[in-house]
Amino acid sequence: MEGEATDDPFRNSCPDPPDIRESHIVSESPLVSRARKLLFRRMLVGVKDGRFFTGSLHCIDKQGNIILQDAVEYRSIRRSQSPMDQRCLGLILIPAACRSSCHVDCSITDQMSLLCLNR
Amino acid sequence: MEGRDESVIPASIPSGDNSVWADASPLIAAACNDLRDGELIHGENFNLFAAMSALEIMDPKMDSGMEENGFHSIEEAIEKGAAPVPLSSESTVDVQRCIDVMDHLLSCEATWHKGHSLAQTVFSCIYLLRMERTSSHPLLHSYCKIMRSTCNAVIAAVSDARTHEEEDIFVMAHGLPLQGDRDEKCLSLLNSVEETISRQLRACKAQVSRKKPSDDVGSLQTIPDLEEGFCRALLCRLRFRKHFYHALMCMRKHQGRGIELAKKHVASCLSELAFMSKSVEFLRSNGLGSCHGEIEYRTTASGKQPFGFDASLNSRLSAPTPPRAVQIVSWKQAILYFEKLMNDLDVALSLPLDPLLENILQFLVQFQKSEPHLVARAHLQLLLIQDGKLYGKDSFHAVISRAIALPEITRDQAFQENEFVVQLGQLVMNLIKILCTNNAWQRRKLGKILEDWGVVSIQLELAFRREYDEMLKVSAEENLYMKLSKHLLVWAEETTYWIASRFLLLGFQLELYSPKEYCMVYWYLYVIFVNLLEKMQLRITYSVDNSRRKGKKKQDLAKDAGFHPPTGVSSTCLLLQCYVYISEGLTMMLAALHNERPSFQISSPFNSEHERFIQHFELLQRANVPQHISYHLFKESTANVQISNVLKHNYFKEVQRIITSLRGSFARDPERLLELHRLEQVVDHNRVALGVIERVGANDASLEISFEFPYHPYFAVAVVKRS
Repeated sequence: MEGEATDDPFRNSCPDPPDIRESHIVSESPLVSRARKLLFRRMLVGVKDGRFFTGSLHCIDKQGNIILQDAVEYRSIRRSQSPMDQRCLGLILIPAACRSSCHVDCSITDQMSLLCLNR
Repeated sequence: MEGRDESVIPASIPSGDNSVWADASPLIAAACNDLRDGELIHGENFNLFAAMSALEIMDPKMDSGMEENGFHSIEEAIEKGAAPVPLSSESTVDVQRCIDVMDHLLSCEATWHKGHSLAQTVFSCIYLLRMERTSSHPLLHSYCKIMRSTCNAVIAAVSDARTHEEEDIFVMAHGLPLQGDRDEKCLSLLNSVEETISRQLRACKAQVSRKKPSDDVGSLQTIPDLEEGFCRALLCRLRFRKHFYHALMCMRKHQGRGIELAKKHVASCLSELAFMSKSVEFLRSNGLGSCHGEIEYRTTASGKQPFGFDASLNSRLSAPTPPRAVQIVSWKQAILYFEKLMNDLDVALSLPLDPLLENILQFLVQFQKSEPHLVARAHLQLLLIQDGKLYGKDSFHAVISRAIALPEITRDQAFQENEFVVQLGQLVMNLIKILCTNNAWQRRKLGKILEDWGVVSIQLELAFRREYDEMLKVSAEENLYMKLSKHLLVWAEETTYWIASRFLLLGFQLELYSPKEYCMVYWYLYVIFVNLLEKMQLRITYSVDNSRRKGKKKQDLAKDAGFHPPTGVSSTCLLLQCYVYISEGLTMMLAALHNERPSFQISSPFNSEHERFIQHFELLQRANVPQHISYHLFKESTANVQISNVLKHNYFKEVQRIITSLRGSFARDPERLLELHRLEQVVDHNRVALGVIERVGANDASLEISFEFPYHPYFAVAVVKRS
């Protein structure tokens, strides 16, 4: 599954920044490098009060806090799901504690390659 | 996995073409587990500093969209009965609740004026947000309509005046239903409602006296004992709104034509406010349900929670900014606020439409003493400057020509187009606008415009020299334009010093000086006052020369310049002379204490006396106001002062002498008489203090000397105690 990363149209342009600090990190866990491939992809994050945020993934830290760029907030206007109200928020930080779901926008094949955990 | 996704994600958030929303949480959880402490997953463009500015979701101080347990939308709130129309099926309760809505709206309006967003104050009212719903309820509808129109009028005035830089949240109103069609008819609707209620009031009074039911007018509500009280409570509320709106409209009339009428409406507002205050007793005692807690903290006169308000519905309209915790002021405070606003407006409306700039500046300084609120300041500014003209009728070149006492050249086209006159006109207009802003902002702006005035003065001086040289060559006759530059120069310098003095004095009002710095502040003030006095005298001499040549009678002249008959010196100059002496006296007294008592010396580990001097007077020095003034000069002139020198010069006694002679000429000016009284108290106390210090010895450790401002806002009094 590592192989098709080259022809992946959504492939992260530079998965490992040529940073001096990171250059002597000998080994990065395969899970981390796979999570790194989610960067710049469109994410959909739900939070506990029922709102959703979409935006491109900017950063994740060890605690699972997520920063999204160009985020849009969606909230339902009524208790029933259907009509949604949305507004642009820009750069947002979603703390892990209030995150209830997290999805990434990808094709079915990507889904297998990116998100399969049993490797 | 797919199935679970779809059940969670709302269908209205689409994924990309040919793609799906795939659950990434397991991967993220696992990856986070593998991350080392402090490690981040980020791309090339990541910048930790920029990331710090991310809006934190679910942080109550940052996330304005956080869902509380309230309603999701206005429609939902209405469906759930949060804002019923009518407010109750029982007419008495309906009237009572309607009054609560009115009262809470008043509190909201005051909160808005004090700088909160419109969305979270006045427009937290669901009735205002969906006004069409109230059309079946004339009382509520008319009140909501006039409320909206008033908000519009206030926003228009404040944003036209642009005095709200510091209060930037004030005029933001996007997304709110502020513009309604046929809002201009709000008054006729209000008038008809008012008419109906006053008829109901008359009917109920007649009923009481004649014990005979009158059938032609239906009563307001069903309990006869409460009818009169409710009618009165409603009438004063409606009438206050009516007069307030009228006053706002009249003030915006062209060339101050509505001033007289506006003044009457403001007076009516004040009396209606008094009636509103009185209605508290009735509203709290009418026995319709109980209420707990003190009225001091309630936003309604009855003390009950009003129907139809929800601030969280709108918090999202205030953009993705940090939501501010809005504390709506209590109804009592709102009444006090509006009373102050009306009093401030009343002062603004007493504007004498005086064409003399000197008097306008004086009026503005006087007006600002009560720290008037933004709404009043904005209206005053709009009265003063309309269409780039003073009061909308006097062009600024005419104002300048009057200030330099050369009225004969006003109609001269060349004068109007003279580059200096155009430039100075602009500067005067800016100055007037700045004097209408709040004190802190005003001081900052005054410091900045000093440089512009300084530059114009330098240019005028150069022009004057050039013309002087040419004149010597060309003819011996007096050149009108040389005279013009000479007069303009003196006047521009005088105004520059006036601005500088206002800048320094505002520092006292804003408490920017520490007691150990008073010496240098009074020294600088003294220098400025001396220069101001010199320029003022020069200007007056010119204008006297000028009028004498025109053959005016001497008596008229004296009247024109506010002359003081026995000495022949203008009383304004004499008052300024008092300031010169007092600031000199205080400087010397402080310098002597500084030299003789270690506790008066600045010994801060952070910044030296020299640095403080620069901090306080940098703007003045940069503008060369006045030239060649430096810290070293200050040190030189204060280094060798001893208490005995101060006593010998007796500055304060000089002031007393002048004050005695000035009393007569200010007899008809209560403001100035009050100022004289204050100055007299300052000099009296300082003379006594000086005597005590001299007797005991300035370096006596048992003496406690401090400087306070009990009598005058700018001139300190030495308080001497023995421990």
